[in-house]
Amino acid sequence: MQSLSPATLLVLVPLLPLAGAVLTLLLGRLLGSRAHLPAIAGIAAAAAVAVTLLLGTSNQVGSAHGPHAEPVRPVEMITTLWQWASVQDAYVPPEGSAAALPGTAVSSAGGAARAFTIPVALRLDPLTATLLAIITCIGLVVAVYSVGYMHHDPGYPRFFAVFSLFVFSMSMLVAASNFLVVYVFWEAVGACSYLLIGFWFTKPEAARAAKKAFLVNRVGDFGLAIATFLLWMTYGTLDFHDTLSPDGTILPGILGQTRLADAGGIVGGAVGTAICLCLLLAACGKSAQLPLHVWLPDAMEGPTPASALIHAATMVTAGIYLVARSAPLFMACPDALAAVSIVGATTALVAGLIATVQNDLKRVLAYSTISQLGYMFASLGTGTLLGFTAAIFHLVTHAFFKALLFLGAGSVMHSMGGVIDMRRFGGLRRIMPITAATFLVGSLALAGVAPFSGFFSKDEILATLHAKGWPNAHGEHHDAAPASHASLPLPLGEGRGEGAPATRLASLTRSPVAASAAVLDTPETFRVLFWMSLVTAGLTAFYTFRAVFMTFTGPTRVPEEAGHHAHESPPVMALPLIILAVPSAIAGWWLFNSQWLAHFLTATPSFSAPAVTATAVPHAFHMDLAIQGTLAAAIGIVIAAIGHLGRRSDGPQMERFLGPLQTFFANRCYIDQLYAGLIVRPLEGLALVAALFDRFVIDGLVNGVARLPAALGGVVRRLQTGLLQRYALAGVMGVLAIVFVLAWRLRG
Amino acid sequence: MNGSLPALTPGLLLAGAVTAAAVSLWLLLPRGAENRLARWLGLVLGAVALAGFIAAGRRLGSLGEEAVFLTVALVAVVSGAATIVTRSPVYSAIWFALSLAGVAGVLLVLGAQFLGVATIVVYAGAILVMFLFVLMLAQPSGLAPYDRVSNEPLLSAVAGAVLLGLLSLSIGRLSADASCCAAPTRAAAVTGPAQPSVPAEPVGDDPLAVDQVARLGGELFGRHLLAVEVAGVLLLAALIGAIAVVTRGEAALEQDRRLAAGGGNR
Amino acid sequence: MMPLLAAGSTALLHNALLVGAILFALGLVGILTRRNLIVMFLSAELMLQGISVSLVAWSRYHGDWGGHVLVIFVLTVAACEAAVALVFVLQAFSRTGRLDAAAWQALREATLSRSVDHALPESDAVPPRWPRLARAGVLPSADEDAALEREHV
Repeated sequence: MQSLSPATLLVLVPLLPLAGAVLTLLLGRLLGSRAHLPAIAGIAAAAAVAVTLLLGTSNQVGSAHGPHAEPVRPVEMITTLWQWASVQDAYVPPEGSAAALPGTAVSSAGGAARAFTIPVALRLDPLTATLLAIITCIGLVVAVYSVGYMHHDPGYPRFFAVFSLFVFSMSMLVAASNFLVVYVFWEAVGACSYLLIGFWFTKPEAARAAKKAFLVNRVGDFGLAIATFLLWMTYGTLDFHDTLSPDGTILPGILGQTRLADAGGIVGGAVGTAICLCLLLAACGKSAQLPLHVWLPDAMEGPTPASALIHAATMVTAGIYLVARSAPLFMACPDALAAVSIVGATTALVAGLIATVQNDLKRVLAYSTISQLGYMFASLGTGTLLGFTAAIFHLVTHAFFKALLFLGAGSVMHSMGGVIDMRRFGGLRRIMPITAATFLVGSLALAGVAPFSGFFSKDEILATLHAKGWPNAHGEHHDAAPASHASLPLPLGEGRGEGAPATRLASLTRSPVAASAAVLDTPETFRVLFWMSLVTAGLTAFYTFRAVFMTFTGPTRVPEEAGHHAHESPPVMALPLIILAVPSAIAGWWLFNSQWLAHFLTATPSFSAPAVTATAVPHAFHMDLAIQGTLAAAIGIVIAAIGHLGRRSDGPQMERFLGPLQTFFANRCYIDQLYAGLIVRPLEGLALVAALFDRFVIDGLVNGVARLPAALGGVVRRLQTGLLQRYALAGVMGVLAIVFVLAWRLRG
Repeated sequence: MNGSLPALTPGLLLAGAVTAAAVSLWLLLPRGAENRLARWLGLVLGAVALAGFIAAGRRLGSLGEEAVFLTVALVAVVSGAATIVTRSPVYSAIWFALSLAGVAGVLLVLGAQFLGVATIVVYAGAILVMFLFVLMLAQPSGLAPYDRVSNEPLLSAVAGAVLLGLLSLSIGRLSADASCCAAPTRAAAVTGPAQPSVPAEPVGDDPLAVDQVARLGGELFGRHLLAVEVAGVLLLAALIGAIAVVTRGEAALEQDRRLAAGGGNR
Repeated sequence: MMPLLAAGSTALLHNALLVGAILFALGLVGILTRRNLIVMFLSAELMLQGISVSLVAWSRYHGDWGGHVLVIFVLTVAACEAAVALVFVLQAFSRTGRLDAAAWQALREATLSRSVDHALPESDAVPPRWPRLARAGVLPSADEDAALEREHV
């Protein structure tokens, strides 16, 4: 494989699963129970290639260790497959706008008109390489698991075809280097998600859930579309990367190095904020944040491996990817950043609250996913390099342990004969030891217990939130910021007031481009968000271990649907669990200590923008935050144990304890009902009106037109009386008419 | 009525006469229940119409001519109107016979003596007698219900009025514009080789009066020989056809009666 | 009134044509209106009379035989037509029992119903009083009144 160029390898990563999907579609019926082979072969090959690319890119970036490591240069490789669209002279950028070519001569072709081109270009940079590796590797593990889980399903080939198709779409999404191509694959993953949620489409709940997911995602896609239009209008291009025009001038891409190096390259203000908020809307739709989170719990109607891959590890992370990729855009609009954080932290808290009262194991995990994604958004919204890298770090660890937890839940569901209501079974650790052990590992990681992976990533998120909330607290830990840009004398939050270096951290956390005072981006906001996140950490631990105790501890109870299924999963399902448990346990610790991921990610062009690197802080382990986090988690676990450990595992503890609040959370804060009343019912009414209009007015018109000749005929038919003299009279009158006309003509 | 309106144009007079005739016909036609008033009114209007037509006609040379023509024309027209108006079909046939007499008189006035007599002989003598025979066979006693009603009397009267109006107006315009009609040509120049013994110039006022039958016969068998022969064949065909239909019709009737087995159409 | 025109054929032509037109129109109205088949045929003959008068008038005006010849043929055809037509009338009478042109409605539209006459007051249907002939010959031994009363003509 070394003989293949990186460009070819990059193209292979999405191409191999696509080939697998096509082969499965064509040969699925023929292969029968071996229909998984093309898909798994494709994904496995893609995983190997992705890992190779990851290692190769990592080599390029260089080592992180040592305090004297040279500053990281951005690494990116673009390969253009073909020109999808090209319209000459489509756009004339206004004078002095960001779309005008900065610092270079106007194109000598006469006028400053630019062509509208959409190249299907793929890019390889650290962010993409990381995500490609995650997608393909976890995809492979889940695919192997599905061989056992979907074994007797009649739609076996269809599952693997759509699964492969999804891996292809997701790979293309993270590898695309053009906003329009991203949009295409954004929709494609949505479509694959629809197909997988509604896999058992004969079940009305599944069909409804798939429809709901698609429609809610559509709202987000609308945001992405508007953002694309605004980006085109503002920047005159949709490419991420810089492109070379035929006459030698560089056309800067939106996130290209030429633009990022220029202080005024990114547009802020109202337009910039609008773009960022639209991107946030898109991310909310895909990553199930408030208020567009309603589809994810219902999406649990799909097969559990689909939930594991799509709704835990990969598709829902597309929103995180989009915001992370657009980091420079967000850095120019501090209010948008703060909005991201607020949305994320609020979602985390609300989802956590709802998860505490769910009795369906998969629903607990679904809300847990929403909550953890909220964490990632909160981290992204801090607008610091640490925030961005911490979000991606959490994304990686979350992918491992959430996939593990979902596969474990699938294992439980499989052996319980399709029952997933935790109140109906208990004490399963005796029946399914491997599942229980791996599930426990995943739960510890999710709860953020040291030294499991979730602890480290959550700690970093809390650290960045804390740093934004109390800007002076960590002042002594940071070096002097590079003074390459003007720092504005801005009012600081009340902090500790100790003697700080001349360059305050506050000025470092603000984008040098924003000239207006930010409304939301204040330390007070981030203090509130920090406390919310801390409480959410406690809640996470609580509901996770509530689920663990209810399922695996206590007296062994098996529902009658289980029949003779109540045993440990077959090796094809148990092995992936073990495989995923390993990184869930140790990946966090290893990545944190070696700082490999953080250092690696700083080579991403988006994160190597001066605006972002200005916020860099040296790596440190914040003991106080670690203690706070662990304390919160411990409290949560203890309360869960009090409520549900052992003999009390099946009792209605939450109902007794919370009373009416339990009903409120169990009904998902009535958000679904709100949507149903505000949006769904009026739309159904409108659809009814349209249907009635179609049936009575339009069909009536058409039928009326059809009935017209018959009616006319009916009128004329009355003339055919069969009476001879009436016919003669008619004839005579006709003749007289003719004669009259002739006589009239001839008079005079 | 005749001289009261000196400004009456011929056209208007004719239109008035036609309208009156139409209305009178409508009133007189059998329309269900017997209505004395309608009858009388119709008769009066009919008289008015006739007066109008007379007024719209041209004056002939002498009073005697005028009187004779008027008499026979009135007989023909009034009898004709009575034919179609009378309820009883027998009376209708009798009125028709009278109308034939009138028409024969008109033909005589026009100088077609042979045709006048032929009309009487053929029509009144043969055709009318046939009609009466059929009536005798088929007419029920008293007035049948279908004799007492008419089919669309109003529309038919209007149609007749329109037709008559058009025709009379055309006739009026025709004879008013004398130049449109060529002077009567010499009979000899048009008839061709008919009778070489016929003198070349017309005699008196009536060029067709002399040797009329002979000359008519010569014309028929001379110029129109083929048509005469065809007419003869037509008569033969009619004869055979009538007999054939009768005999076949009777056979079919027998069949019908056998099939109906008691229920008949009668 | 009309000034006296120069004596000539034009006036006679005009009048004769008028008579012909009137007869023709009367015949037309009769055909369209009367329902008795015999009266319909009489009206047709009336039309033919009108035509004959017009033809002869033209023939006299032009001074040639064309009109006369045509009238001869009209006569011929009328005779044939009467013969054949009356045969059909008798056939029709055999099937329906009456000489009603409106008895034959089978060619109407399938959705229409047969048109029937309104009921007429019976007072009209009083049979006309036929002339009573004086008795002649030997009185038969049958009922005198029955012998004198005729049902049919």
